[in-house]
Amino acid sequence: MKTKHFLAVIALIALACLGALIVLRLRSAGVIANIYQDGTCIRSVDLSKVAAPETFTVTDKNGHENVVSVEPGRICVARANCPDQVCVHEGWVSGGTRPIVCLPAKLVIRLEDKSAAPGADAPDAVVG
Amino acid sequence: MTTKRITRDALLTAIALTIFMVEAQLPALAPVPGMKLGLANIVTVWALFTLGPLDALMILLGRILLGAVFAGQLMALIYSLAGGLLCFLVTLLLRRVLTARQIFIAGIFGAMAHNTGQLIAATLVLKSLAVWYYCPLLLLSGIVTGAFTGLAAQYLHARLAKSGSS
Ligand SMILES: [Zn+2]
Repeated sequence: MKTKHFLAVIALIALACLGALIVLRLRSAGVIANIYQDGTCIRSVDLSKVAAPETFTVTDKNGHENVVSVEPGRICVARANCPDQVCVHEGWVSGGTRPIVCLPAKLVIRLEDKSAAPGADAPDAVVG
Repeated sequence: MTTKRITRDALLTAIALTIFMVEAQLPALAPVPGMKLGLANIVTVWALFTLGPLDALMILLGRILLGAVFAGQLMALIYSLAGGLLCFLVTLLLRRVLTARQIFIAGIFGAMAHNTGQLIAATLVLKSLAVWYYCPLLLLSGIVTGAFTGLAAQYLHARLAKSGSS
C-alpha cells in the first residue's frame, strides 16, 4: 500500500474526530450532576437548585478523597489526594457533556437529565 | 537465546524504562485522562521493525512491568498493559505491509490503538462509558504524538541500518 493511501485513512479519522469533538462541545447536557463511584451513583445534585456554594467530600475504602464543590449551575473537584490531579485540573463543569473523571478513585461526575441516585425520583430529595 | 541477544534486549528495556520514567515526571499535557507523549514507544516500534516481534514484546513487557514497580502504582499497570498490548498488536499487523520508509505510519496507528486500549481499560475500571467523551481528543493527540515517535523510530532504523549495527 502506498503512503498516500494510509495518509488518506489517517486524514479521514482526524476529520471524523474533529466532527465528533465539535458535536460533543456544542451538545448540552442536563443540570443534574450525578456522582458515580465504582459505577454506582452515590449522590446527585440538581445544579439549577443550588442556592449557596457547598462543598462535600467523597471518600472510598481505599483512602481516596475527592472534595467536590458545588455552585449555582456548576460543579468541580476542588481538591483530591490522587497522584495525577487530573480531576482537579478539569475545573468547573457547567451544562456540557464533559465528564469529570478521577481514575484512581474510580469517580465520575456527569451532568445528566435526571438523577441516577437509587430511589430518588425527585432530585431535590438528595440535594445537600 | 544468546547472551548477546539477552544483553541487547536488557539494554533496550533500560533505555525504554528511562524514557518512560522521565516522561512520567513531566506535567500532564492537558487535563485529559491518559493523554501523553508515549516516547517510550520509539523503542518498541524500532525493535519491532528491526529485531522482530519476540524481542519487541519482551522489551515492551519488561518496560511496562518495571515501570509500574518504579512508579509504585499498580493500578496504572492495567492501563499500561491494555494500551501497550493493543498498540503492539496493531504495529505488528502493520509491519507486514509497511516498508522501512513507512514506519511512521505504524507509529500513528499504534498510538491511536494505545489510547483506545486505555479507554477500554478505563471503561472496565470505572464501570462507566464517561471516558469515551475523550476518545476524539485522544485519537487526535495519538495521530500527532504517534507521527513524532514513529518518525523517530524510522530515522533510528535508517541510521542504524546504515551503520550496520543493531
Ligand atoms: Zn483525581
